[in-house]
Amino acid sequence: MVSKFHPFVLPFSIGFALMLAVLTVRYVIWLRGLSSDNRKRIRSKFFTVNTWKALVEIFRESLVHLKIYKVNPMLGFMHMSLAFGWFLLIVGGKLETWYYTGDFANEMHYAIFFRYFEPVTSGFWMNGVMVFFMEFALLMVLTGLILAFAKRIRKKLMGMQNTTRHSPGNRIALTFLWFIFPLRLFAESATAGQHGGGGFMTARIGSWLFNSAGAASWELPLWWAYSISLGLFFIALPFSRYLHIPTEMVLILLRRWGIEPEKGFNPNKGLQAFEVHSCSSCGICLDACPAINIGQEAFQASYFVRGVRENSEVEAKATSCLSCGSCTSICPVGVDVEQLRLDKRSDIFSKARFSHSYLPGSMTLWRDTTEVVLFTGCMGRSNPKTTVAFKALLKEARLSFVHVDEKDGVCCGRPMALAGALDQSLMMKEYNSNLINGQNGQVLVTTCPICFKYFTEEYNLNIPVMHHSQFLWELMKKGKIKRDSRDLKFAYHDPCELGRGSGCYEPPRSVLAQLGELLSVDKERDKALCCGNNLGSLSLPESDRRQITARTLAVLSANEPDYIVSSCPLCKQTLARQSSVEVKDLAEILLETKPLRVKVPSYSYVHQEAGR
Amino acid sequence: MTKQYFGFSVLEQRSVNLDSEMPAELESLYQKEPSLRACIACGNCAAVCSAGHFAEMQFYRLNVMARRGLLHEMVGKAAACMLCGRCQMSCPRGVNIRHAVLMMSQL
Repeated sequence: MVSKFHPFVLPFSIGFALMLAVLTVRYVIWLRGLSSDNRKRIRSKFFTVNTWKALVEIFRESLVHLKIYKVNPMLGFMHMSLAFGWFLLIVGGKLETWYYTGDFANEMHYAIFFRYFEPVTSGFWMNGVMVFFMEFALLMVLTGLILAFAKRIRKKLMGMQNTTRHSPGNRIALTFLWFIFPLRLFAESATAGQHGGGGFMTARIGSWLFNSAGAASWELPLWWAYSISLGLFFIALPFSRYLHIPTEMVLILLRRWGIEPEKGFNPNKGLQAFEVHSCSSCGICLDACPAINIGQEAFQASYFVRGVRENSEVEAKATSCLSCGSCTSICPVGVDVEQLRLDKRSDIFSKARFSHSYLPGSMTLWRDTTEVVLFTGCMGRSNPKTTVAFKALLKEARLSFVHVDEKDGVCCGRPMALAGALDQSLMMKEYNSNLINGQNGQVLVTTCPICFKYFTEEYNLNIPVMHHSQFLWELMKKGKIKRDSRDLKFAYHDPCELGRGSGCYEPPRSVLAQLGELLSVDKERDKALCCGNNLGSLSLPESDRRQITARTLAVLSANEPDYIVSSCPLCKQTLARQSSVEVKDLAEILLETKPLRVKVPSYSYVHQEAGR
Repeated sequence: MTKQYFGFSVLEQRSVNLDSEMPAELESLYQKEPSLRACIACGNCAAVCSAGHFAEMQFYRLNVMARRGLLHEMVGKAAACMLCGRCQMSCPRGVNIRHAVLMMSQL
């Protein structure tokens, strides 16, 4: 082991040691918060292929940032060149010292400040490769740095409309980070200028700037500055957003080991702690948010998670959000912001007590078999057109049905869950379960995506559940409902609860494609905007909601459709009250495109009928 | 005591007194959900209420109770809400009824 030392390495060494100490303490506290079931999971999965898969994922996501590439290639490249470039520098430094000393174990500062201790290295052709590799990695990081700098000055250059406004602490940490790599470049160049050696960048910069005898006095201060910025960054890391760098790796491991989130709002315990601190405030969620720049206070995921991390007041942030799920679906780290917000809401409204003991019994003792059990939900009752149309379509398809909540329906419970009062919807769930299970039906069809999501996820019904868009597409596929294509243009609005919430994008589109031309919309499928009235939002004022609706309508009506079509009564109602284009439910459109004249049956068909 | 005016009677506890101060809880309720002030007790919310089919749940009445200081009664009645949001859709004044009910049931 080669032991070389200079006092300038101390800031780095102390900073690094402090960071390790703080990280260890914090991680131990968080890991102790894991439930006993989760600890068992870790023990049983530790020596399995899952750990290997996690390592691969760490390489793909924490270093190369592939998910960011998919959202925004420029941004992905920036993150990759910073993270992967730095990783290459660390690995390269290790290999370099190993190669030159013949000893694998060397002191850490020897590898980090290698060029100061060994300005000129020589050797076999491998020397050239090593020097080039290190310079290349440094160039990579510097490229990322230039892009990051450009992003600060003009975010649109990087294809971003909004970036996170960082808190002062994070700005300081960012400054230290930005200083590290240029200082490294100049320190190595100064050494190269004075002592020779260096690679394609440092040798040149060295001979331009640091060749003179006067420049000799620059060398040590530059190395000192490099070491100090490294040390300060490491000290700031566990207290700033850069904590995400190590935490995301642990989170990936924990997820691959099948850890399940602990119940309740505990941002300093268990999996939730790792999730909250894995958020890098990258700001990708901001552009995805339909409510960006709306309202008095920014409540987007990035700001909400930061508030949670910093233990500040996040009540308004948690209750204003629409819970449309855009941020969760686009988050490159996969932080489950939706759940975190719901947990926070449960925390806020923990004293709210609801009682639905007034609900009568709903057990049905006997009923004849029926094909379809129809549930239209609360919003459906305010939108009778959809219900009427869907019933007419069922008649057209010659299906028998029972409309279970025709007179006095009870809410499915999803709105209550969205307010964080999941446990208090039990009586409503019981009422609806008994009602539906007693119908002796074959399939439950609901015209409301909110009910659909809750029935599929939280209820344990004895029949399959379908959304009416899925059911109608099934009927069309089976030929029970036949339509010809017409000269109509549709823009389809994805309801949050059906699209991102339940992953149902295709069936309604398939139905519309049969009826006319389905226009493509700027933001659709998993990037669709919220109508502005998602039941997740509790405290967002009406005026702000209307602004969101207006934005969504602008996107939907951009290509001049004849109809804006949705398959959610809530979305339909919300969009309709502000839209200049007619807004209709999928079922209404399908009914209205019914041909007036019945086609003359073909000969073979008549013949068959006659023969029977 | 009930005062008699031309055949109408107003219960003393329900008489309008603009000088009286709001209880502190109510003040915070109105602060957290300012849209409550916009309520004109038109009754749309009660007409569409899902819980109203089964129980005595009329949101505008909760608000009226709150204004009259009948907090205990209001909290009890608010417990019947299902938070389904139909009232909010039909409210002509844009009151965030779901949030308001959550707050009310917490008082």
